Amino acid sequence: MNLRAVLAIILCKLLRRISRLLHRGGTAMPGRFALKLCPNLLELLARDVKTVAITGTNGKTTSARMIEEAFAREGKSYLTNRSGANLLSGITTEFVMNSTLFGKVDKEYAVIECDEAAARTVFGQLRPRVVVVTNLFRDQLDRYGEVTHTLENIREGLKRIPEARLCLNADCSLSSSLALDLPNPVAWFGIDAGAAASRGKPSLSDATHCIRCKTEYEYDYITYGHLGGFRCPRCGYSRHAADYAVTDVLELRGSGSRVVMSIHGEKQLVNVNLPAMYNIYNAVGAVAAVSEIGLGAQAAVEALASFHCGFGRMEQFELGKSGTRMMLVKNPAGCNQVIEFLQDITDRFVLVICLNDRGADGTDISWIWDADFEGLTRMAGRIEQIVVSGDRAGDMRVRIKYAGIADEHIRVERDYEKLVDWLAGQEKPIYIMPTYTAMLDLRQTIVHRCGGTDFWEG
Amino acid sequence: MELKICHMYPDVLNLYGDGGNIRCLTQRLAWRGIESSVTRLPIGEMALLAGFDLVFIGGGQDFEQQVLLEDLHRGKDKEIRAAVEDGLPFLTICGGYQMLGAYYETHDGQRCDFIGVLDLYTVGSPTRMIGNYKFQCGPESGGSLVVGFENHSGKTWLGSGVQPLGRVLAGFGNNGEDGTEGARYKNVFGTYSHGPLLPKNPALCDYILSTALRRKYGAVELTPLDDAAELAAHDEMCERVQ
Ligand SMILES: [Zn+2]
Repeated sequence: MNLRAVLAIILCKLLRRISRLLHRGGTAMPGRFALKLCPNLLELLARDVKTVAITGTNGKTTSARMIEEAFAREGKSYLTNRSGANLLSGITTEFVMNSTLFGKVDKEYAVIECDEAAARTVFGQLRPRVVVVTNLFRDQLDRYGEVTHTLENIREGLKRIPEARLCLNADCSLSSSLALDLPNPVAWFGIDAGAAASRGKPSLSDATHCIRCKTEYEYDYITYGHLGGFRCPRCGYSRHAADYAVTDVLELRGSGSRVVMSIHGEKQLVNVNLPAMYNIYNAVGAVAAVSEIGLGAQAAVEALASFHCGFGRMEQFELGKSGTRMMLVKNPAGCNQVIEFLQDITDRFVLVICLNDRGADGTDISWIWDADFEGLTRMAGRIEQIVVSGDRAGDMRVRIKYAGIADEHIRVERDYEKLVDWLAGQEKPIYIMPTYTAMLDLRQTIVHRCGGTDFWEG
Repeated sequence: MELKICHMYPDVLNLYGDGGNIRCLTQRLAWRGIESSVTRLPIGEMALLAGFDLVFIGGGQDFEQQVLLEDLHRGKDKEIRAAVEDGLPFLTICGGYQMLGAYYETHDGQRCDFIGVLDLYTVGSPTRMIGNYKFQCGPESGGSLVVGFENHSGKTWLGSGVQPLGRVLAGFGNNGEDGTEGARYKNVFGTYSHGPLLPKNPALCDYILSTALRRKYGAVELTPLDDAAELAAHDEMCERVQ
C-alpha cells in the first residue's frame, strides 16, 4: 500500500466522521475526495474481497438485500453499500470504512449494488467474482441516454473482468445479449413458461426488435414488460434455458409468494417474503448469485423466507390505523408491477403517488404516460382516497385525470409534514408510490414520526 | 362527428410518453362528445393516409431508427409526402419531426435521407440538448405559450419553405442558436417537445383538434372544458422554467 493510498484512506475516514457529526449521510462525498488523491483506491482495497456485484435497471437494491441476508444467515463476514450509494465514489467509501489505515479490508465478502452507467468504471476496479444483471428497462432517459447505451456501459465494464461469473436474466432479451460476445461463464435465471402470467405480445415493450438482426421478436409467453420467452424468427437469437428457473407460482399474496424453483434441475419449494411478481425475479436472481459465489443455493432459499427489504421497497411503517407500505417506483415497467400488485388488494385503501424530477429520479417525467395508471380505474371502487404529492404533483394530477379518475377525487398535498399528519389519521391501509428522492424525503418525515432508521444506517 | 387518428410507428417511435399525446387527443374529443378512433400503423404495414383525419408520429431510439428507414423507403415516404401536401394534419415529435425533413447528418458526416416533405434538415451535435423548456407559438399555430421537455442531440435548421412552430423563451428549441422551435407547414405541426406535449398544453391540443375538425367538417366551435388541473401544471412549469 503506497503513501498516497494511506493518505486517501485517512482523508476518506475523516470526511465521513465529519459528515456524520453534521448528521449528513456522507455516503459518496468522502470517497469522491479520496479517489482524487488515489484514483485506483478501490482496486487496492477490493483485491482480496470476494465480491458479488448487482447491476441492471430494476431490482438492484432488493436483490442485493436478499443476497446479503444469505451471507448474514451463513455467518459470513461481508460489507455492503446498503445506503444505495452505488457509484464509484460511494462504493469506495464503503470499502474504506471497512479497511484499516493501511488498506487491509477485514471482510471476506462484499455485496455491492452498482449503478448501470457506473459499471463501465467500477467493474475493472472492483473485480467482482459474480455479477448479477437483473434486467434492462427504459429508465431515466436523460441520465443514461438510451437503453442500448446502458447495455454498452455494462458490456464495457464486463470486458475488464472476463473471469467473473455472470448471472443473467434469461427472459430479458436486452441483458441476455451480454452473453453473445463476452467470454465469461454464465448462469441463467428466469421464469419458465408454466409459471408465466400471459401469452401473446408484450403490451409495454422496451425491446420489440431483435438486438442482433432487428427482426421483430416472437414470444411464447410474457411475464411482464418485454420479459418472457422471446425468439427471433430470422437469426435464431432466443431465450436461453434457465439453470435457476421458477417453474410454478403457487401463491401470489399481498404479503409474499410461494413458488417452485428448479435449481440445476432439482425442484424446490421457495417462500419469498415479499409480494409481487417482480420480486420473484429478484428472488431467483439472488438464488443464482448466492449459489455461484459458493455459498450454496440453500442459504439463499432460507434467506428469502424471512427477508425484509426496507428502504422504500415494499417497506412497512406503523403509520395510520392499518399501517403503510412504501413501494418505490422509478420507471414504467416497475410502476406497472406495483399497480398490478395493488390490483390484488381486497380491502379499501388510501393511495399516495409522490413524483419528483430531481437528478436521481430523472428530470424527464414523460415515463408516467407510459405507465398503466389506467389500471387504477379498474380498482377505483377500492380506493378510499388518491393523493398526489412531490415536486411534480401537478403533472401527476393531470396524468391521473387522463387515466379516467375525476379531478375532484384527486387530492394534492405537497407538504410532507401535512401529508403525514393526514395519513396518521387514516383508518384504511395506506400505499405510497414515491420516486427515488421523494422516497428519501417522505421516508425521513415518516421515520421521525413513527420510528425507524435513517437511510444510511439501513 | 368523428376523427380518425393514425398513430404511425407506435412500435418503434414510442420513446417519450407518446401514448399521453394520443390519450389527450382522444380524451378531449370524448369529453366534448366527439368520437375518435386510433389506428396503429407499425413497421411493415401500409395504409392509405387519405382515410385519416390526423396523423401522429413520435420519437424513438437510434437503434430502432434504422429499422424504420428501410420501412419508410418501401413506399410510406411517398404516401406521407402526398398526404402532407394534401393538407392532412400531422403532429410529429422529435425523431418523427426530424424524419419529415430532408436529411439527418451525424456529426461525423454520415448522411441519412429522410422524407423531405418539410424544408428543414438536422445535423447531429456532440452535446445533448436536454431539459424543460418553453416557447411561444406563432399566430398561425394558435399563439399559445407551450411548456415541454426536450431531449435531442440533433440540431434542426429551417429553410424558407417552413415557419417555426414557435419562438423559444427558455431552453434550446431547434438548435439552441436561432431561437426557433419546431416547424409549421400546411397542417403539419413539428416539435422537439415530448414530455408528453399535449396534456399540459391544452390550448395547443385544442388548436390541433380544431385544425383537423375544420378540414373535415368546416367551421367547428370546440366547447370549452374545465382545464383547472392542466393549467395548474402548465403555469407551475412556466414559472419554473426561466
Ligand atoms: Zn435476430
